[in-house]
Amino acid sequence: MSNPVQHIVIVGGGTAGWLSACLLAARLPDKRVTLVEAPDIPTIGVGEGTWPTMRETLATIGIPEAEFLTECDAAFKQGSRFDGWRDGSAQDSYLHPFSAPPAADMRDLAACWQAGGQQGPFAAAITPQHAVCAANLAPRQRAMPDYAGALNYGYHLDAGKFAALLMRHGTKRLRVNRIAAHVTGISRAANGDIAAVMLRDGEPLAGDLFLDCSGQAGILIAGECGADWVDRSDVSFNDRALAVQVPVEPGSPIAAQTIGTAHEAGWLWDIGLPTRRGIGCVYASRFLSDERAEEILRSYVAAKVPCADAASLTPRKLAFKTGHRDRFWIGNCLAVGLSAGFIEPLEASAIVLIELSLKALAENFPQSRASMDIHAARFNELFRYRWDRVVEFLKLHYVPSQRSESYWQAQRAPETIPPRLAECLALWREQQPSAWDFPRVDEMFPAASQQYVLHGMGVPVPLNGTPPSPARLADVAAKARALAAALPTTRDYLDRLAAQTAAARIPA
Amino acid sequence: MSQHQILNPADHGQLRIHTEAGAEYGDNVMASLAMPAEFREVQAHYPIVFRRDAETGKLAALALFGFEAGENLFLNGSTWEARYRPMAHAVQPFLIGRAAEEGAPPQVHIDMGHARVSTSGEGMRVFDDAGTATPYLETIANMLGDLDYSWHQSAAFFTALETYDLVEPFSLEVTLDNGAVQTLVGFQTIHEERLASLDGEALAALMAEGHLARIYMVLASLAQFGGLVARKNRKVALG
Repeated sequence: MSNPVQHIVIVGGGTAGWLSACLLAARLPDKRVTLVEAPDIPTIGVGEGTWPTMRETLATIGIPEAEFLTECDAAFKQGSRFDGWRDGSAQDSYLHPFSAPPAADMRDLAACWQAGGQQGPFAAAITPQHAVCAANLAPRQRAMPDYAGALNYGYHLDAGKFAALLMRHGTKRLRVNRIAAHVTGISRAANGDIAAVMLRDGEPLAGDLFLDCSGQAGILIAGECGADWVDRSDVSFNDRALAVQVPVEPGSPIAAQTIGTAHEAGWLWDIGLPTRRGIGCVYASRFLSDERAEEILRSYVAAKVPCADAASLTPRKLAFKTGHRDRFWIGNCLAVGLSAGFIEPLEASAIVLIELSLKALAENFPQSRASMDIHAARFNELFRYRWDRVVEFLKLHYVPSQRSESYWQAQRAPETIPPRLAECLALWREQQPSAWDFPRVDEMFPAASQQYVLHGMGVPVPLNGTPPSPARLADVAAKARALAAALPTTRDYLDRLAAQTAAARIPA
Repeated sequence: MSQHQILNPADHGQLRIHTEAGAEYGDNVMASLAMPAEFREVQAHYPIVFRRDAETGKLAALALFGFEAGENLFLNGSTWEARYRPMAHAVQPFLIGRAAEEGAPPQVHIDMGHARVSTSGEGMRVFDDAGTATPYLETIANMLGDLDYSWHQSAAFFTALETYDLVEPFSLEVTLDNGAVQTLVGFQTIHEERLASLDGEALAALMAEGHLARIYMVLASLAQFGGLVARKNRKVALG
């Protein structure tokens, strides 16, 4: 084969860089993987929610689940709860859980719930996970095999510790070569490809395929390869975040889901780890001042975190642009992570997009330069599709709202709603969301996700024909009772695990 | 130490029970009481033998799990390698309790000193947060009811065995693969010759009460000794 692709060079550490390095080294054992990262550039470290896909990712990389949980100060995430999005009233709350029944059952249960007069929350009718989340229970028991659960789940984690664990694992167990150096430029091959990246103190680093994991700067994909920026702030308004980490009392309950609480011009995230809660205020700078955002953040912490000293916190301010590259793969350079694009973390899409990018790459790896442009064109088409669906799905969280603030009114202005979402919303008045709306393999937000948000936000389920027997709802309720009895609280699970790990570390 | 209490949501609202198998939960026992009403399920997995109480002289039936005290050859780590466990064992750490007054309905009691009582926050809840019995407790309560009923019913079965003199002492001596001899003494089983010589009137009476089928279940269960010996050989081979 002429021009074989043997050496993968990853530029940038952090979650994207180290996940890429570990996954590629594990899945493509005949390739050489080198990661170059600047020794002194801090990672952003706020991507702290994963999808259930992370279980397969970690199993593939070869990290035992207990090691991951203890090393990353991680907890289980079973979905996202949205408080205050409909009208901001006290009882305004719905869950988008990770577990969904098969599509046909989902539609039957939705119809039963609607026909029965919407008794209880929508998600509670669909899956026992609602009851399990409400009781702060873990999705699994410790005796279960690694990465197995009674319910579908991902994780909340400390992103800094996660990148450190991946680095140790990648360099020690997966033969990833790490170089600590600043990248200062590139040298080009005759065909315009990147031949090597130049390092400040060292030899040029040559490679066959380059992954740009340099974060928002996109030093290779944008800086060298000329990708254009596709701005999506016309649909997704938020462009600032204030983030804090609040220590929690030992033994305090650990929430089973991310909590997203709407405020006058954005929303707050709340992610519970065993030792702290990561809380952030996301907002649109053209609707809200930084000062007001900080007030909102502090009053949330004061109200929601017992014993927290809200006054002493110093929030970290992040400014971000919402959008993505027009192409993610140009020549022999592929952007993975924030270098590819960014949108508010409302449904924790950042890490899963990294995983999906690597899945697409590893399962369609260009063995030679000759096939690379074909793979690149397919990859670019697929990820443009995915970004469009992410943007639309996040917008779906805002459009049905009845909140009256000017921000919320602007969020549902017709000219800010992508045409395909507007079409779907029109169809969903007559028929339930289905695979006809989301026909691809590995859709990020399949029909079930759309339904959890749509009906959680109060949009009624369209009824056609005779609804199935309400006995189906009773089955879900019975399953919920059984699971609620069998599962430990997340706090008990993780405290026991920590005690067990500590005991195992004591030399015999 | 046993520590029996009447189960109730006020005292046991947060209680959790370890439901998986394990020596640490008291599953390392060589036998369990078996009720005649469950002989059909029991004989599919275990040999059934009788034991005569030294003091009262009364008979009871046992399902055998091993050959010596503390040996359960069906226990493999946290797995019990049989689909059915005799009720008297499966209800642990719960028991049937009776109120002092005559005719009062039986109550669910629990032995809070039992190793199955969890202190780690893991295990199966008995009551939910509203104080309602969980599906697990419903299953246990049903099983306790069945156990209580079949216990009272079993007296008639053993009386019939005595009436027709159908019980004889039983001993077993097996040479294991490694040459060691495994013996089992002190148990009773069905006297097959006497059973075969019963007249039609006697057989009709035993059948009418439902005893005859259970007698044959006990005979059939002796074939499970082959499986028990194979388990013992495997355990010895694994050291």
